[in-house]
Amino acid sequence: MTRTTTAGRIGLAVAVFALLVFTLFPVYWMVSTALDPNAITRGSDVLPSGISGEHFSYIFDRGNFGQFLTNSLIVGLGTILVSGLLALFAAVAVARFRFRFRTSVLIMVLIVQMVPLEALVIPLFLQMRDYELLNSLIGLTVVYIALSLPFAIWTLRGFVATVPKEVEEAAYLDGCSWPRMFWSVLLPLVAPGLVATSVFAFITAWNEFVFAYTFMKDGSKYTAAVGLFQFFGENSTSWGPVMAGSTLITLPVLVFFIIVQRRLASGLAAGAVKG
Amino acid sequence: MPPESLIEDSAHDDVAAATSPVKSPRPRGQRPSPTLRRKQLGRTTRPWLLLLPSLVVLAGLLLWPLVKVGILSVQDYEVKFGGGVGTYTGFDHYKDLLSDGALWRTVLPNTVFFAVACVALTVALGTLAALLLQRLGTTWRVICSTAIMAAWAMPAVTGTYVWVWLFSAGDGMMSQLAGSLGLIDPETTNWFTERLSFYAIATLNVVHHGFPFVAITVLAGLLTIPKELYEAGMIDGANAWQRFWKITVPTIKPIFLVVTILSTIWDFKVFTQIYLMPGGAGSNEEVLNLGVWSYQQAFALNDYGAGAATAVLLTLLLLLITIVYIRTLFKESDEL
Repeated sequence: MTRTTTAGRIGLAVAVFALLVFTLFPVYWMVSTALDPNAITRGSDVLPSGISGEHFSYIFDRGNFGQFLTNSLIVGLGTILVSGLLALFAAVAVARFRFRFRTSVLIMVLIVQMVPLEALVIPLFLQMRDYELLNSLIGLTVVYIALSLPFAIWTLRGFVATVPKEVEEAAYLDGCSWPRMFWSVLLPLVAPGLVATSVFAFITAWNEFVFAYTFMKDGSKYTAAVGLFQFFGENSTSWGPVMAGSTLITLPVLVFFIIVQRRLASGLAAGAVKG
Repeated sequence: MPPESLIEDSAHDDVAAATSPVKSPRPRGQRPSPTLRRKQLGRTTRPWLLLLPSLVVLAGLLLWPLVKVGILSVQDYEVKFGGGVGTYTGFDHYKDLLSDGALWRTVLPNTVFFAVACVALTVALGTLAALLLQRLGTTWRVICSTAIMAAWAMPAVTGTYVWVWLFSAGDGMMSQLAGSLGLIDPETTNWFTERLSFYAIATLNVVHHGFPFVAITVLAGLLTIPKELYEAGMIDGANAWQRFWKITVPTIKPIFLVVTILSTIWDFKVFTQIYLMPGGAGSNEEVLNLGVWSYQQAFALNDYGAGAATAVLLTLLLLLITIVYIRTLFKESDEL
């Protein structure tokens, strides 16, 4: 349809190049600074002055970063286990049943997503202090479950809706009870969606800063995002270790995100084809 | 950050049944068998049983705290051993807040102009990226969209650290670059102390993180526009610019509306990206925004009442935008 002129091709190539530089440059700068033994004096050199793992060993040996990563992992896994299960139940309820106030429930799920964290952090901090759940990984996990739940319900609902009703009815005809149908028929079919939503819940917990920063004042309970903060000096910051820590926080998210995003997109496309 | 499924799933076929209450017809005077009755009971209570745990969590950890922040905002809250005590003060905190010159001079303008700039740039850049992706062949489209995903996936915390490092005074790559071009003296220039340059860097950070969502969503919309429309436009002699404004924009207007409103909601409540920048945590009053101000009042000054009042103001602003969002969503798909 369109005849591509030479000028058009060059323009396209320039645009692609600009897009790639803009999107990837911060990632590149982070990783290359983390590997550069002379990170601070790097200036505007595009290539690092050398490759070394000294910043990584520094944050583990001196900065207790292994502990922070473990804390983040515990909180993240706790979040996805509970919020995945709760969201699955709720998603089945709103996608498979007709009942009064169904639309109201859906609207509420939408609205609570818009609530600013800054409005929640004050009352939740005071509440958690009364229950003596500050400085506790459980207290933080409970908050993250609530934060990730609305989006998880909303997304899973789409996945549950794409499972044809006929499959369910066939299970009933074979004599399945509802719980049996749920575990043996619906669950396996929604599993890919459940994995995708859980990964998002994990990323939410893994990345979260405000609550972890407010709740965790005991150094051994820091999550990775908060633990990074202690490498900031009063006047100068040791950028090598900070970027090494950032790299360790970012890379798992990056990999997860790219994998899951494909799956989410293809799930949506499949649903569209089925009509 | 929620991906596009938030929007795409809004319309589903399963609604018709919800609006017309289905009563199973059964002959009069004939009692239903026990199994049937149990089944019907199951049909009405089961969805609520399934919803119950989620509703309890949402009510206890999201809705109740929202009520609580409202209560706190009309109290002076004092922390005592074994719990806090609130004394009712009426609307004093709101009076103080609204008569504070800092709110009108710095905090509110910072919040609003920053959000507007971020939203405009995010939507513009996202649309341009989507148009570019649409024109590419398969290989380059996959490469470019993976790169876009990488920008999206970068956590707010680490992304902010990278931008701060890039622009940091003296050693930062951008400072050195601008210094070697003779634009600034990298030893004496600190971009983070000036309000405008501080927010320019924050905007760059937020747009970098936010435009992928717009790009991917708009691309999905672009791919649904039939090619014939463009062919007809070309036959009528419309150039690329006219085709974009007369064909593309009207056809996927709902998508533009939704990404704009969602971006607005997200950009109004930006906290981490500001808080982690030098001076952003409250030490530089010139660069405060509503979220950081509320946090600082509550946790640095221990004035939980004033912090709560500021948080309520931010929440009301967001609620206003959310209402617009919900109405747009409903207009598009009639039903959820």
